[in-house]
Amino acid sequence: MRHVVFRLDKDRYALPLAAIREVVVTPEKFSRVPRSAPSVRGIMNLRGRVVTVVELATLLRPDQPEKKHEGPPRKIVLLDRGRRELGLLVTEVDGIEAIEKVGPAPPKAPATVKGLARLGALAVTVLEPEALDAAVAASFSKISRS
Amino acid sequence: MPSGVDTSRYLGLYVSEAQEHLEQLSQNLVKLEQAGSTGPVIDEAFRHAHSVKGMAASMGFEATARLAHRMEDILDAYRSLKERVDRATGDLLLSATDALLGHVRATADAKVLPDTSALMGALERKLWVLKPDTTPRPSSPPPPPALARSLGLPPRFALRLKVAAGSATPGVRAFLAHKRLSGLGNVFDLRPGLDDLKAGRLNDGSFSLELETALHETEVRAALNTIADVELASLRLIEPDAPSVPKTNEPEGPRAVGTEPARTVRVRTELLDQLLDGAGELLLATARVREVAKSAPAASRGAMEGEVDRLNALVKDLHAKVMKARMTPISVMTDRLPRAARDIARRRDRDVELTITGAEVELDRAIVDELNDPLLHLLRNAIDHGIEPPVEREKTGKPPRGRVQVNVRRDRDRVVLEVEDDGKGMDDAKLRAAAVSRGLMTPEAAAALPMREALMLCCLPGVSTATDVTDISGRGVGMDAVKRAIESVGGTLEIESQKGKGTRFRLLLPLTVAVVQLLLVDVGDETFGVPVAKVNGVVEFPEEQLARSQASPLLPFGNTLLPVYSLAEVLAVPNGHVHAGARPFVVVEAESGKVALGVDRLRGQEEVVLKALTRPLDLVAGLAGVTILGNGQPIFILDVPRLLT
Amino acid sequence: MAKRVLVVDDAIFMRDIIKDIFASGGFEVVGEASNGVEAVERFKELKPDLTTMDLVMPFKNGIEATREILRVDPKAVVVMCSALGQEALVMEAIEAGAMDFIVKPPRAEDVLAVVKKVLGEA
Repeated sequence: MRHVVFRLDKDRYALPLAAIREVVVTPEKFSRVPRSAPSVRGIMNLRGRVVTVVELATLLRPDQPEKKHEGPPRKIVLLDRGRRELGLLVTEVDGIEAIEKVGPAPPKAPATVKGLARLGALAVTVLEPEALDAAVAASFSKISRS
Repeated sequence: MPSGVDTSRYLGLYVSEAQEHLEQLSQNLVKLEQAGSTGPVIDEAFRHAHSVKGMAASMGFEATARLAHRMEDILDAYRSLKERVDRATGDLLLSATDALLGHVRATADAKVLPDTSALMGALERKLWVLKPDTTPRPSSPPPPPALARSLGLPPRFALRLKVAAGSATPGVRAFLAHKRLSGLGNVFDLRPGLDDLKAGRLNDGSFSLELETALHETEVRAALNTIADVELASLRLIEPDAPSVPKTNEPEGPRAVGTEPARTVRVRTELLDQLLDGAGELLLATARVREVAKSAPAASRGAMEGEVDRLNALVKDLHAKVMKARMTPISVMTDRLPRAARDIARRRDRDVELTITGAEVELDRAIVDELNDPLLHLLRNAIDHGIEPPVEREKTGKPPRGRVQVNVRRDRDRVVLEVEDDGKGMDDAKLRAAAVSRGLMTPEAAAALPMREALMLCCLPGVSTATDVTDISGRGVGMDAVKRAIESVGGTLEIESQKGKGTRFRLLLPLTVAVVQLLLVDVGDETFGVPVAKVNGVVEFPEEQLARSQASPLLPFGNTLLPVYSLAEVLAVPNGHVHAGARPFVVVEAESGKVALGVDRLRGQEEVVLKALTRPLDLVAGLAGVTILGNGQPIFILDVPRLLT
Repeated sequence: MAKRVLVVDDAIFMRDIIKDIFASGGFEVVGEASNGVEAVERFKELKPDLTTMDLVMPFKNGIEATREILRVDPKAVVVMCSALGQEALVMEAIEAGAMDFIVKPPRAEDVLAVVKKVLGEA
């Protein structure tokens, strides 16, 4: 199956192409979402639609401090969630690759990780779209309960 | 320009009115060409050309007036010869209409009028062919008034009809009669209105209307005589108006039902926006007066509060009425479709008949505005990719003339709008293949999609069954944009298609969008919207003078003290300003009672379309919705009652 | 010559009732159909003077069938058969071009009055 391969800093990740609506460049400005989880970067106006955008790195590793971003503008991978989208902020999108064999996820990996795959000499972490969406929702519920 | 009169101050009115006449003229011409009718449509077309001529002449735009005059002559010739308007003449007359529009627009922009002498020559040759014995001269005097009258409007009849007392379905009977009469000409002044009529709410079983028709009285009677249980109670001829009286000068009477579009829509909607703004501000002002009334001397306070209550009720009623007035008949967007259909069909060598039903159904103007382009795109698609060339159609046993139908109907709290063609249908196999080749899904997943979903694949960006790219289909919005536009107003799109039989796009639309009046406030670098309905008032007060004896600071408001919350703190806004001197406070009704929210700046009121919060935003307490401002910035709308809990 | 009628209804007993009414009024029932698809086919074949059309039928409803018949012959005379409570559908059918309607259960004198009117015989 074809996957969109992208990077967070230097690490490579992949998501099934079927789960992606499109890739867009980061807008100049997000509107902050008050009372939201640390991973939530804000909302953006995508051709009249309001899309929530999250820092994928923070979502995957909430315990690690957020790195300050430098370098070329980052990309937003838009996850297709039916009548809405979820934007994932990534460092760069490498391209579309066929990934047929996904090996098991390492033990203790979060639910967002589906497994590991190889692209030539490169190791790629394949992510689970449903679980990403659920992780965002879960981070919000934690806020409202605290 | 004629000497002595300063016509410049009429220029705006001239431009808007002439454009309306010309747009309607172009609609008439398309109808004429299709139906070959010589009845009311050609009279109407004549009238529009006549009006434009008169208006242009009195403004001193002679070239425009001459061109309009020639059109008027040709239309008049067709009318008296009772001849069918053929395609070539249709083209000529439509080009002349476009040229006139060009003149009017150039006038509006204070530009030199485009040269239309070649067109003028063509019109004169055409006229000479039609009426060789009369020599047309641009300077020929206008017809005497008596003649103008005889050339003018078709006769109008006033009719009163009665449904038989024993009828089990008086509404349907009355509707049937109305429908039959609409087929004879233009129906005006239907009483009771169409909705009441359909529901059977008649005046003692009867209803009345005026019918403008070129038919003779006996023909009208004969048409009605074919309907059982409906009796013609009375019929009389009304004197027609002289044709030169521009309609827009008439007082706003009851509008024609379903037959003629509102003539002053552009002006009216602008005014409506202002009215809505005004009504919103009145609501706010009333709330302020209420607060002031509370600090009035006890002797007059009761009376004052009573008056404020009354005022409040009136203002609320006004606000609701203005909202209702935003409902716009769908004809505003469907009226231009016949012309568009004709042009597309002509360019693609298709023979197409477009029918439109239910254009009188009303929708919120915001929805109508949003759907203009998508509807045109669906029409283009239907003709461009649906309807086959006439030869191909005949080979498959279809009539050579393709049919495109736009049907609108009200279905409970929704409006259903369908665009249907009897063309070649959509090829779901091609759509599935396209989705696979674009890597959007596996071949298995594509094959497993049910038909409905497979057809919806055409709405994914870049997936299309069109193999040819024409200037028609390639331009403007794609199906993905169509779908988005429909969803942005809270509607949904469904597609049905049968290979070889045709395609139907069905739009299910809400009657109104959730439009809210917001008070926009700035806090730090952020903007939030507070629903005006939740705002009790706005005050400016020096922050350092707030009473600070209690747990929270207190703001004097009327004769009470309100707890103050800094919106920056409540929403954890970074870069909140430090305030010296007066600061604006918005008084709102929270769950615990009135509170004052300290903000940095008031940006004023705006009417916005409320978008629902999608996951995960719906999980945030204190947010009611989101909207996109005119500058493209998305902002949150506060859920005032839940903001502080 | 007796006017030729096509009767469309998905219920046989209803067709029989309507047929009897037409026979009693001096009409000739030349054909029957039990759904909208069949109705359009039969219409093309028989070119009747009058078609009575049930509203709700399998495969293709009466409104669709009426539209198609009028597409084949814009002068076709179609009269809808409806139950009470189907007013909205009847109005849709009238919008689509149906000439009139009769209410089920049909009474001979009502049906004949309506069809004679639409055929210009009354």
